[in-house]
Amino acid sequence: MDRINQLVSHLTPGSVKGLEAIQTKSPDDVVITLAVRTPLCKARKGGLKDTTSEELLVEIFKQAIAHSSIDAGLIGDIAVGTCLPKKPLHEARSAMLAAGIPEHVPVQIINRFCSSGLMAVTDISNKIKVGQIDIGLAVGIESMSQNPDDPWTPNSVAVNNHPPAKACCMPMGWTSENVAGDFGVSREDMDALSALSFQRAEHAQKSGYFKNEIVPITVNFKAADGTITQKTISADDGIRYGTTKEALGKIKAAFPQWTPSQTTGGNASQVTDGAAAVLLMKRSKAEALGLKILGKHVATAVTGLAPRIMGIAPRIAIPMVLTQVGISQDDVDLFEINEAFSSMYVYCTRELGLDINKVNVNGGAVALGHPLGCTGARQVATGLNELARRDGKILVTSMCIGGGQGAAAVFVRD
Amino acid sequence: MNRPEPPSVLQTPGFAHYNLAWSPFHPARLAVASSANYGLVGNGRLHLTSVGIAPGIPGGQPTVNLDKQYDTQDGLYDVAWSEIHENQLVTGSGDGSIKLWDIMINDLPIRAWHEHTREVFSVDWSNIKKDQFISSSWDGSVKLWSPDRPRSLTSIQAHSACVYQALFSPHQPDIIATCSTDGTLKIFDLRMPTYALTTNSFTNPITAAALTIPASGTEILSLDWNKYKPFTLASGGVDKLIKVWDCRMVKLAPETASQQVQQVGGVCESQMAGHEWAVRKVQWSPHRPDLLASASYDMTCRVWSTNTPDGRGSLVYIHDPHTEFVVGCAWSLYQEGVLASCSWDCRVNVFRV
Repeated sequence: MDRINQLVSHLTPGSVKGLEAIQTKSPDDVVITLAVRTPLCKARKGGLKDTTSEELLVEIFKQAIAHSSIDAGLIGDIAVGTCLPKKPLHEARSAMLAAGIPEHVPVQIINRFCSSGLMAVTDISNKIKVGQIDIGLAVGIESMSQNPDDPWTPNSVAVNNHPPAKACCMPMGWTSENVAGDFGVSREDMDALSALSFQRAEHAQKSGYFKNEIVPITVNFKAADGTITQKTISADDGIRYGTTKEALGKIKAAFPQWTPSQTTGGNASQVTDGAAAVLLMKRSKAEALGLKILGKHVATAVTGLAPRIMGIAPRIAIPMVLTQVGISQDDVDLFEINEAFSSMYVYCTRELGLDINKVNVNGGAVALGHPLGCTGARQVATGLNELARRDGKILVTSMCIGGGQGAAAVFVRD
Repeated sequence: MNRPEPPSVLQTPGFAHYNLAWSPFHPARLAVASSANYGLVGNGRLHLTSVGIAPGIPGGQPTVNLDKQYDTQDGLYDVAWSEIHENQLVTGSGDGSIKLWDIMINDLPIRAWHEHTREVFSVDWSNIKKDQFISSSWDGSVKLWSPDRPRSLTSIQAHSACVYQALFSPHQPDIIATCSTDGTLKIFDLRMPTYALTTNSFTNPITAAALTIPASGTEILSLDWNKYKPFTLASGGVDKLIKVWDCRMVKLAPETASQQVQQVGGVCESQMAGHEWAVRKVQWSPHRPDLLASASYDMTCRVWSTNTPDGRGSLVYIHDPHTEFVVGCAWSLYQEGVLASCSWDCRVNVFRV
């Protein structure tokens, strides 16, 4: 059987597989030369509460260009992942121009909810792989202060009479309770992992681990008395120091209407503002431009699943992407799994049998926040930075996606 | 472009071919490694044929006759003639065994070795150190052998995936090139094999290569050293392309091994597209530095010249009478322009280009 498979592989051209293969440096690799993010700030209360989404975009574009060491005119395409703005392409196009990127550079919006940032990276990577562009910028952004994630009620018989279709319009908190209820995730485990997320983020922030990935930005800030001042934001402000499992255990359920009512404000991702940028190009191009290469994007996998338990998606998407590139879970040095809710986070780490010392080692969305469109790109910045710190090679990022989808991607540090 | 004359054909019913080799001593002798059931399961057979080439008649058609055959327990994937003994040749088999045959002795091999743990996909005899040959296997290793020794002289872990071919440099002793499922070509110096420092030598030992060429995003199935230009190699594989590599940048042992300088690179001189499916075999002409033959799953054998004004190479000849995958091709060493091809259609074709 092995022989047949081996010979069949000659006739089914695909990418080379395996740990050695994905670590081999080829001129055609899609590499990352820059992965940065703004601080993540609590929506409506934090440092970016008075910053509009287009202002935040202008800032992340400016910072990306300033830190990229390239002429912005060389960028072949920009993909912006964002979910909530009413006029996202207006915002993105105007912001890139206001940030000084030349008119001939195009821009596009990508929305696949919580994975939008990763989809922007994937889209740019694919365009580079097929030769459509040489250099591309992927951005993930969300201002949840300005564009709140309001519920949506479908107003059509076709959807309302179809249970799974209806399910994907339900609030995300409901899916979290479904995961906890269906798969026997305890409140205690949820609070324990959430406390760990806070403690890790606190340690990382105090140790200055985030300095290499955060680009400070200067924004308007309205004080309590109504005066507007310019303020430079340089640190995440959602991390609650000294959080313990016991303290989280006292918080009241956020969704008493849905059993088992284990999700709270303390063990779910925070509502947050933030942006991140990833600059990608062919390795040959990066070498020609003399840029430092942080790592390469190897593969992305996306899957769909039942909307009512969308949180378990990383459990499906991570094995998918690992099979796609032919490596095992043990080969991975670091996982960044979005902590949309700790019910799904507990479930996914438990079912995949992940070594918790390799997962979200500097905290996740429970402590740092989850600006929907930003997260996928933010994980790349955080993951590559931490990989460098611990001298690891392989990074896997993953997230569940509202509406019943999930995504995972593999990156290799250079 | 194609000439009208049909090729000379030898049929081997029930046995699909995997490779073929011309004798370096006798212009007429051609050996063919083959397998029942397309090599997926079952026996193998080594065919010895003689090709009658009428000398001095330009364009004269050769004839192919079957002289002898040897049966084996498992499929035969490659064959190489001895460079010191005119009657001996070595085969590599699907069961991991290597057998030495003497064509004056019927039925059985005169020696057999079994060290590889998976299919042996290539064997190559050194034409410089004529008492040595190498084998490469799907177990990722390459082994150096002497016909007189009961065990391999050296074994290197060349790749962590299938090694489809390993060939001695025709110019320097102890230098070999390999190609693999992992998409790389590698050059090794067998004088000082050491494990690469970048790998865990307990759980995942890999021998340090003098040069690693990331040649393709897909599997590399074949390679060959140019006979006239040292450190110029051709590769072919699943990406359907034939690429020519200038590897003169390589630094060889002992300096390399002691300092663990493992270079990555190789300059792609030309890239020839045309095959519609994976390229299974490439071989440079023994008579001309610019001529290269290739065999492909697209059922054709093609000849290419790298000597074009733009340096990119161009197609010279297509041989398309085969009706199944063409898996091997070999230039006659004595008759310039005579090429033999073998296929899963159980036919050996010999023709003039």
